[in-house]
Amino acid sequence: MADLEIRDLHVRTEDREILRGVDLDIDRGEIHALMGPNGSGKSTLANTLLGHPTYEVTQGSIRFKGEDITEAEPHERAKAGLFLAFQYPVSIPGVSVANFLRMAINAKREDPIGVKEFRTQLQHAIELLDVDRAFTSRHLNDGFSGGEKKRAEILQMAMLRPDVAILDETDSGLDIDALRTVAEGVQRLHDEQGLGALIITHYQRILHYVKPQFVHIMLDGRIVLEGGVELVERLEREGYDEIRQEYGVGV
Amino acid sequence: MSEGPGDADAGAVAVKPGRHREATLYHALAGRGAGAGHTLEELRAAALESFRVSELPVWRRSGFWTTSLQALDLDTLEVRPGKGAPGALPEVVQRTLPERARAGRLVQSAGAVVHVELDPALEERGVILCPLEDAFREHPELVSQWYSRRLTIDRHKLEAANAAFWTGGAFLHIPEGLIVEEPFEIVYAIEEPGVAQYGRTLVLGGPNSDFRVIEYDLAEDFDDYPEGQRQALHAGAFEMYLMDGARCRLAAVQDWGSGEVFDVSSRFVGVGRDAYCHWLPALLGGHLVHQHLELAVSEAGGEMAFRGLFFTEEHEHLDVFAVDLHETGPSGGDVHWRGAVTGESRASFEGLIEIDPGAQKTHTYLQIHSMMISPKARLDMIPSVLVSADDVSASHGGTVGELDETVIFYMQTRGLDRPAAVRVIVEGFFEPLISELADEPLEALVREKVTRKLAAAREDIEAYAVSR
Repeated sequence: MADLEIRDLHVRTEDREILRGVDLDIDRGEIHALMGPNGSGKSTLANTLLGHPTYEVTQGSIRFKGEDITEAEPHERAKAGLFLAFQYPVSIPGVSVANFLRMAINAKREDPIGVKEFRTQLQHAIELLDVDRAFTSRHLNDGFSGGEKKRAEILQMAMLRPDVAILDETDSGLDIDALRTVAEGVQRLHDEQGLGALIITHYQRILHYVKPQFVHIMLDGRIVLEGGVELVERLEREGYDEIRQEYGVGV
Repeated sequence: MSEGPGDADAGAVAVKPGRHREATLYHALAGRGAGAGHTLEELRAAALESFRVSELPVWRRSGFWTTSLQALDLDTLEVRPGKGAPGALPEVVQRTLPERARAGRLVQSAGAVVHVELDPALEERGVILCPLEDAFREHPELVSQWYSRRLTIDRHKLEAANAAFWTGGAFLHIPEGLIVEEPFEIVYAIEEPGVAQYGRTLVLGGPNSDFRVIEYDLAEDFDDYPEGQRQALHAGAFEMYLMDGARCRLAAVQDWGSGEVFDVSSRFVGVGRDAYCHWLPALLGGHLVHQHLELAVSEAGGEMAFRGLFFTEEHEHLDVFAVDLHETGPSGGDVHWRGAVTGESRASFEGLIEIDPGAQKTHTYLQIHSMMISPKARLDMIPSVLVSADDVSASHGGTVGELDETVIFYMQTRGLDRPAAVRVIVEGFFEPLISELADEPLEALVREKVTRKLAAAREDIEAYAVSR
């Protein structure tokens, strides 16, 4: 049984059905890429996995480490070891990055984290993400550039040490240096902490820096094709249209 | 945005003159004051007469806002000493005020001053801190020229009551050129219902002095008293005059607890030539609170930062009128208020920038931010600008906020439950002002009070989530 087990997942919003039967297994230590064109349902899957209230699961289930979390509150999923790096991280005025991290870490623990332990972890994460110390005393995402926001997401991920992280288009809007930093950060968390990751993207370029073992192609609310890195190369050659024709999903 | 009386162009879009005043209810004192040329006895007598002939006030703004004192049973309340032994600090004061170094402290409980302390080194250098009653005897020349100089005594019954009946009171005088690091604390405490407290404070900052004042307005909760017998009144009058070049940081923490404490107060701060005042009241609780707060730059070169925050809960009613008045230019103003409401509370904040004809080259800005935490709370934020000079800049802005579900979800995905996420949002909302207090123990106290109110509002927060 995989750590994260998604079975026949159907999800709708108020006006329409978006996911129409998704099956996906992700284990700790595995890196998966989920690719697909805009509107195929990738972000819906990401938000549903963390329990966003806008998305209603009408059929199927999500299990995490053996527990059914289909109806769990978002914070319970986070405490269980899931993480979502947002495509559009929100700003939280008045709360510094460091204070927010401390709160989030303490939410998962019985006793608050010690000052020294926190500082050591933070230092490590700062180096990993190539940000300077002053970064952590700024208000979270408040006035951050696109690249800083994405770095802050990965910084949180590094500190919270999830078992499985979903990265929702973390690569979008990043210049090549920021992309490399973020991607290498993910790769190192995988190597050092055994992070499992689902990297959602519709570009190939992040996959030059993080090497997925599994690649899934999503079209119209279903995963239609699965394989290894060779799928990325095929996509690069053929685009989504070929695949769409081959699998006969609605054009 | 600045629509003064001289804004004739407004007619072009069929706007009647004075349209911008329609939503507003209050007026600046704008230079009026009762004190000049009168003795205390004369003022008390005139105020008593006004008290006798007037009714309890009702303030009504076109249709959607009324602050009425008619529920106040004034006949059952009396001016009397505090319930503790003479000289003993009220428990609510011991419990609330942080342990810290201070320059001095004056505590009034109910109708009498129970405690005065002043750093002897400061006393030696001419600082005066004493009950205002005593100051009239011991420093008549100093007190009488400033007492009620810019405060009126007859706009409404409770203002008249204060001017007629005040007892105890606080007088603080900082002599010329003296710089005092630690704050002076002035405390008004109400320990039991049935009390009418007429507090009266006069603060004089001598030329080029530099000092800090923290006022505390505190009451016990009255939970042990039967329903219908929990009323108390604080009708306060506060005036501070900063002479040329004086600098003062003035903060206030008001929390009248869960009893039925009515607070109807007027406060005036006058800023002299090249003087500066940073004023930040934190209004954190009271059954029915009406505050007239006026910060006036009276002489050229004066600067002020007028800050404030409020947080109402349950059935509280808060009515704040804050004036940023510029009488002479050049001058600078910067007004920034933040308010949050929970429960079924109601709050109204009217912020007025008023620039007199003589205040050319004034630059001022008013911003008001609000946050709704409960579906049943009501909050009105009304900025207005009255400009009678042409070479000025005056504008206002602000935000009306609800709890943002996107932000809550974001924090939930980091492991915070909903109430914790809301707490982070609201604390973050107030943080820009709290950190401006620039005083660790005071910041901690205000943060703790905000946090405690949020904990009490937990059910509202859940209800709000369900309602949307």
